[in-house]
Amino acid sequence: MTEILRTEGLTKYFGGLCAVHDVTFSMKEGEILGLIGPNGAGKTTLINMISSALTPSRGEILFKGERSSGIGAHKANLLGIARTFQIVRIFSKLTVLENVLAGVVDRRRKGPWRLIAESIFKPRDGGKAERTALETADRLLDFVEISRYRDEKAENLPYALTKRLEMARALATDPALLLLDEPSSGLNPAELNGQIELIRKINGQGITILIIEHVMKVIMDISDRLIVLHYGEKIAEGQPQEVYSDPQVVEAYLGDETDASH
Amino acid sequence: MDALFFQQIVNGLIIGSIYSLIAIGLTMIFGVMQISNFAHGDYSMVGAYVAVFILAWIPGWLGWIGSLIAAAAAVGVLGIVTERLVFRPLLTRWTDIDMIMVSIGLFILLENLAQLFFGATPRMLQDPFRGATVNIGVASTSVLRLTCFVLAGVTIGGLQLFLNRSKMGVAIRATAQNRFAAQLMGIDINRVYSATFALGAAIAGVGGVLYGTLFAVHPLMGAMPTLKAFVVTILGGMGNLRGAIFGGLILGTAEALGGNYIAMEYKHAIGFFIIILVLLIRPSGLFGKKEAA
Amino acid sequence: MSANPAVRNRLGLVLVLVLLVLLPRIIQDRYHLHIIVMMGIFTILTLSWNLLAGYTGQLNLGHAAFFGIGAYTSALLAMNTGLSPWLGLPAGGLVAAFFGFLLGFPALRLSGPYLAITTIGFAEILRLVAVNWVDLTRGSLGLSGIPLLTPIEIGSWSMKFYFEKDYYYVVLAGVLLTIFCMRRLVRSEFGVSLQALRDDEPGAQSIGINISQYKLAVFTVSAFFAGFAGALFAHFSRLVSPETMALHTTFDILTMTMVGGLGTLLGPVLGAVMLTFLSEWLRYFEDLIQFDIRLVVYGLLLILTILFMREGLAGVVKWIADWIRSALKGEKGGTPS
Repeated sequence: MTEILRTEGLTKYFGGLCAVHDVTFSMKEGEILGLIGPNGAGKTTLINMISSALTPSRGEILFKGERSSGIGAHKANLLGIARTFQIVRIFSKLTVLENVLAGVVDRRRKGPWRLIAESIFKPRDGGKAERTALETADRLLDFVEISRYRDEKAENLPYALTKRLEMARALATDPALLLLDEPSSGLNPAELNGQIELIRKINGQGITILIIEHVMKVIMDISDRLIVLHYGEKIAEGQPQEVYSDPQVVEAYLGDETDASH
Repeated sequence: MDALFFQQIVNGLIIGSIYSLIAIGLTMIFGVMQISNFAHGDYSMVGAYVAVFILAWIPGWLGWIGSLIAAAAAVGVLGIVTERLVFRPLLTRWTDIDMIMVSIGLFILLENLAQLFFGATPRMLQDPFRGATVNIGVASTSVLRLTCFVLAGVTIGGLQLFLNRSKMGVAIRATAQNRFAAQLMGIDINRVYSATFALGAAIAGVGGVLYGTLFAVHPLMGAMPTLKAFVVTILGGMGNLRGAIFGGLILGTAEALGGNYIAMEYKHAIGFFIIILVLLIRPSGLFGKKEAA
Repeated sequence: MSANPAVRNRLGLVLVLVLLVLLPRIIQDRYHLHIIVMMGIFTILTLSWNLLAGYTGQLNLGHAAFFGIGAYTSALLAMNTGLSPWLGLPAGGLVAAFFGFLLGFPALRLSGPYLAITTIGFAEILRLVAVNWVDLTRGSLGLSGIPLLTPIEIGSWSMKFYFEKDYYYVVLAGVLLTIFCMRRLVRSEFGVSLQALRDDEPGAQSIGINISQYKLAVFTVSAFFAGFAGALFAHFSRLVSPETMALHTTFDILTMTMVGGLGTLLGPVLGAVMLTFLSEWLRYFEDLIQFDIRLVVYGLLLILTILFMREGLAGVVKWIADWIRSALKGEKGGTPS
């Protein structure tokens, strides 16, 4: 299988504070890689660098063989990296459908000026482009099972469903790599199973997934491999079972008194 | 040193001290409540009108001192009223646009109420020193202006004292640093908000008397101080009191020098030029804190 | 049961259009027509400001500058180069659009009060340029004697533009064109992208929206319409002064849009119309009180709208429409579906 992502010596400083230090790993196409570690270990910072919301202080990121560090979050998406956020960032005043439609827009081919021209001088295709977009959006809503709320304002959605909406929106951009930042946070046990299902479904579509998670049940269940971060450094990597029983990992969690209990 | 240059510096520092005075209230309110009050200059305007009436009643420097006190008191009350009625209701459902818009509405309202009640003709505040002048090195200035400078300094000093020594002052500083922690420590946030506004407005009111003493008093006079105060706050960093002091002095001097050596007509735009430049390089102001991503 | 909603809407629209076209037959006096033409010009302004503030969340307090630039551009071109005012209209829009593009740059990195002050500064600097570049703009006196729109003659029918009546039709066309464009822009992929940007910038970036490009684009488009309105104003009022770029002009636009309802298409139109009516109505009271309380009312309305009626008049209309709709549904009889 081809390598889809590689980081080399990835490091990030915030002023004098080192959040991520010399992290190197790679991901194969189609796998689900879990990223775990105690609070403050640098997981979100790492994801922010991969999604290019942050520029690394040192090190490289290669996506599909091309340098992608520091190109900017929107460019990263155009290349094929999509993400969800730890605290959901949906477009609250838009409807659920519009949220996904925003993602459906083919931004690889069309910038704002083209969109402006197309909006005022509608292309003569009898509404075909519009219908296709709507169909795609509806299909995605169906995929994440929130079609019921199609015309609701996103801000009226219950929290668990906003996470699904965010995923649908991310999927709408047709990504090759999906970064999930704590997809289970804020969910109750009943909702967790649904979330695991959904992530498997997405992976089944051929999308590579990098998932940060605190909830052990989810991450152990779903990941093909695990990486453990502690104080910004990679301290373990491998199959879930071996990582789980790695003494260094155990100490990192117990030492920090975080939730190994889940 | 060139006498004219020195004279401009003196002039600039004096007017700058008044800018600092007005701006310090604005930046304090922003620091504690994150509110950008576009009506802030109108507090100064009201203060100036208080002075107009007091001075008509008690002329001379007794009246002048009296109007400073009365302005502080009256505008302080106005500050509390506006905080309670206009700003506090929005704190729970916050957006930048709403806050700025409502303060613009307040600005329009106060400005035109003043025009309604006081008429559009400018008034002058009499110089209690009857035009006496004093020399500072090669420059000279009126005793009045020097007194304004001293008073501005004294007021700011008084504010610092209050914020550092008094219970409410400490509470205000605590709230500015961390609203939640302050509440957990038992501080009554609502009283802090009212006190902050009262203080900020009162100081702006004093600034208004000084401003009105140097220039004319008229209902639309609040616009300039508002904009200047914002320029100063951005220069000094929103919420940064020391920055407001330096920012005001810098703006005043820049205007005096720029107006004299570059172009008198664009004197008032100098502040805007400066902040546009500053903001292009540092979007959070010269001494501003960078916001967390 | 009456015709289906789409047909009813179309019918209503046609009715409104017919009324609008016939309006100068109903209201014939020049004073009122003048007011109505200005109302139309302000409608274009509020719609353009709304695109920026309501749909994209960009607080532009220097919008009047675009208005003034469009006005000066068209006036100067007509007076100095003899360019037909008809061409001056889009020219004013284009020059204003260029300045809009410029103002977009600071907007890329600033928000909230920082953006507000920068935009105010932008307009103030331009106003001072207009006041001081006397050779070009005749300073505070302003440009007067700006040419009228050149007459249109088709066969025996002609529009001479000596009277407000003729300008009414041009401005009406301008308003309808603006509404048409705004509607298209807003209900399109572009519109959805703008609103995404407004609602959550990092979220928008994560789906490939290049924030900078979109901000620049929307500033440019918004400024174009404001400049177009300015050019119309120049040839209608025939006098342009630096005051057109003053802060209080922007405040007028802003008040109308907020009271009308930010972030909708109906809002700016309602706001401009209602506040102009209100303004005229208040003039009757002006005779009782020495000074006009119009602006006092404006300030009060703005505060009250934000505190109590955030969605503005458009929100009230929507609320009433919803209420009527549900009341009608209720009346259809009680069998649950």
